[in-house]
Amino acid sequence: MVYYITTILVYGGVDAIACLGLSQQFGTAGVTNFGFIIFQAAGAYAAGVLSLPPDSANGAFQSYVGGLNLPFPFPLIGAALVGGLLAIPFAAIVGRRLRGDFAAVGLLVTAVMFNLLVTNYVPFLNGAAGLSLVPSPLQDVINPQSTGYQWGYSIAAVLLAFVTYRFVRRITNSPYGRTLRAMRDNDVVADSLGKNLRSLRTSSLVIGGAIAGLSGGLLVGFINLWDPQAWGYAETIVLFAAVIIGGLGNHRGAVLGAILVPLAFEEATRYIPPVPNDPGLVPALQWVAIGLLIVFFLWFRPQGILPERRRVIMGDRAGGAVAPLAPEVPSRGAVATAAVVSEVAPAGAAEDAASRTPPPDVNLPAQPEPLPVRVRRPPFAGDVILECVGLSRSFEGVHAVDDVSLSFQRARLSGIIGPNGAGKSTALAMLAGTLPPTAGRIRYRGEDVTALPAYRRARRGLVRTFQLASEFKRLTVMENLIAAIPDQRGETFRGAFLGRRYWGAQEREAIDRAAAMLERFGLSALADRYAGDLSGGQRRLVEIMRALMADPEVLLLDEPMAGVHPRLAHQIGMQLVALCEAGITVVMVEHELSIMDEFCDPVIVMAEGRVLAEGTMAALRSNAEVVDAYLVG
Amino acid sequence: MSLFVESIGFGLLTAAVLALAAVGFTLQFAVTNVLNLAYSGVMIVAAYAAYAVNQAGVSIWIGALAAVAAGSLLSLLLNNGVYRPFQRRGTPPVSMVIVSLGMLLILVFGTQAVAGPTNVSYVMNQGATLKAGSFELTVAQVAMIILSIVVMVLVHVMMRYTRLGKAMRATSANRNLARNCGIRTDRVVTITWLVTGALCGLAGAVFGMNAGTFGATSTDVFLVLILAAVFLGGPGEAYGAMLGALVIGLATEISASLIVSDYKDVVAFVILIAMLTVRPNGLLGARV
Repeated sequence: MVYYITTILVYGGVDAIACLGLSQQFGTAGVTNFGFIIFQAAGAYAAGVLSLPPDSANGAFQSYVGGLNLPFPFPLIGAALVGGLLAIPFAAIVGRRLRGDFAAVGLLVTAVMFNLLVTNYVPFLNGAAGLSLVPSPLQDVINPQSTGYQWGYSIAAVLLAFVTYRFVRRITNSPYGRTLRAMRDNDVVADSLGKNLRSLRTSSLVIGGAIAGLSGGLLVGFINLWDPQAWGYAETIVLFAAVIIGGLGNHRGAVLGAILVPLAFEEATRYIPPVPNDPGLVPALQWVAIGLLIVFFLWFRPQGILPERRRVIMGDRAGGAVAPLAPEVPSRGAVATAAVVSEVAPAGAAEDAASRTPPPDVNLPAQPEPLPVRVRRPPFAGDVILECVGLSRSFEGVHAVDDVSLSFQRARLSGIIGPNGAGKSTALAMLAGTLPPTAGRIRYRGEDVTALPAYRRARRGLVRTFQLASEFKRLTVMENLIAAIPDQRGETFRGAFLGRRYWGAQEREAIDRAAAMLERFGLSALADRYAGDLSGGQRRLVEIMRALMADPEVLLLDEPMAGVHPRLAHQIGMQLVALCEAGITVVMVEHELSIMDEFCDPVIVMAEGRVLAEGTMAALRSNAEVVDAYLVG
Repeated sequence: MSLFVESIGFGLLTAAVLALAAVGFTLQFAVTNVLNLAYSGVMIVAAYAAYAVNQAGVSIWIGALAAVAAGSLLSLLLNNGVYRPFQRRGTPPVSMVIVSLGMLLILVFGTQAVAGPTNVSYVMNQGATLKAGSFELTVAQVAMIILSIVVMVLVHVMMRYTRLGKAMRATSANRNLARNCGIRTDRVVTITWLVTGALCGLAGAVFGMNAGTFGATSTDVFLVLILAAVFLGGPGEAYGAMLGALVIGLATEISASLIVSDYKDVVAFVILIAMLTVRPNGLLGARV
């Protein structure tokens, strides 16, 4: 009985640690590592060969590399190290440009192949038979068969699981964790805001791999054997099932999932008596049940049993735990807030009725107050800050952008108009680095940036927004804004690990700055809402604010006014003019001619991938070609 | 040298089985954008369907028709019952892969629960061994290769010259545009699952014949070969998959003769990973 309980506890600890590693990797960072189990396997093998004597011992009945005979705790440390190091080459597969599902398949296949290799190549890790007689930690000091040892091991396993939980929670609740979650929600946008996806994914793989390796080392010290059967690719799916069922993005959920799926479902049912004449039936049905659990949960409760927690930041300041859509307090700020919120065009019928009531008459200031934006350079109008020469991009033979040369002057508000399919958004994407050009050069601040990836251009101040909704859905509005701030202290793994004492002060500044920004756009009341729950117009505002938080020097806006109430659009236009006066360069793709008329100079007209004309709107209106191509419609 | 020539024969045989499977897989992906990893599960269920018919005393070549029917029907069920509802909800591609893995477990281990853990073999006559120099294959093996070539020609005719093929290509290029042009895309998708399911089922039966003995989990590694062939030719490209199958089939068998047969599938794996990291759209596909 004692052995049963202690075994369950050890397995529970091991499964919980593994699930926490996967939760960090998949739930927080969105890296779909279908090869997760090989990191656990690597940890187990590493701990095994580090603690085993050379393979000539015991009559040389098994063969393996290593055999270093190291005492505790080195095998366990080695397990985590090997798990982490093994993750580094995997970063190539989950690189920047590969579709998520392709990467997932690549990792799955890798897991299948590693298993095949280890099974077939006997000298490495004793092939299909696997390692046996792996020493238990401290077995020279205490008899591993004794009840005391069993209890000690199980308590240590549970403690280690708890430490792992505290560790992943610490890094998830840091700015680093927030950046990972932003990448999970929308990696292209995170890239365009200056986040280095490759390094973020690599660090997620390494951390998850080290945790998985630790779980393997812990397990092998207890069961004393490890073979390829223990880590088939399907074992990864069990861990995925656990994390999905427990709740994606919630580490407590991962622990719960570990208890429910691998532990309760697999280990505990191991003692169900086999069906006579068909010993394989129960295990086979277990696998079927795992498959059913995954599909059913993804369908009926995709958020899992314990859904991801919403991070309330402004709760106290806004005066309530959950800020209502339309604040009822008639203070000056609140009225302005209500006015702006209601001016945002509703996205759907489900829109809160309160936000559709007519706006109270508010006098907007003729000269808007400056936005809380850091301007990188002193205003210095006139020189060319961004230009492209011969820029082209074709999609399977279609020339979306064809030999376009443009130059944008510092501190000007330039507009790009043109009919649908003119190549405006494609041109913008190439300027920002989201899309590599087929031909042509791009110069920014006198430097050729054609080959620079988007995140590095964003770090130099070349920031874009997107035409389609691109908010980080499972981040609150406040988090969306803060996530865009460059160079946060807590944004690296090291910073996150050092904890709130290291990055807390800067975080408070960031929150203040974001709060000021929200107030200027009248969205303070929505600070703690999920950005994905907002209306279409509100999401556009969040996106503009987020781009401003990224300290842009050049702001590339792709239809920022689409779906925004005309009155608010006008207000945004005024803000953009103010930004230009402060020294920021704005390039705006827009369909609304009245906006162009009022704010943009110069205006560039594109059609069929080419630049048709450039000049003030007044001049363009007298250009017959332009009128034919665009303005008539 | 003779070993090398012989391995080309086996390579063609593997390529024949692989082509049937890979073309079906890639067309499923092209039209529905699902990387259906349960594909190898459907294959094995179909192989067992053929086994059941074969056990009743029917020739396996007739039994293969049962596999075709089973694969076709099961694939349709899989799409209409699972994938389509998830996709209508806007489930992202990565989650679709997880769903397909869940279905893979259900199919493979469901088969194992029903059929038992021991391997089975078809009752079949391999026929005489045909020799041309050191190039030798049995009549049955030659028949498999011919069958595969005939099916590839049929796929080519379907894709190139029939309304269905054009509708499939249009749907895969841009589903919304195809729908707006009056193509009943839902029906095209349904028929695609029936056709590709038939290919998958046939591949299952031929896999069983070629393997000699097989069990419920036998297609696990074969899935790696399918994926390698598909990604080599570019996911969604039918002709690419044919070419990929030929290359992977020959590469695995030739490497088996040159190195050790235990590691022949590793060649496919290396090719797959190289393609994923360097050119995920395939040799024929556009660069990213």
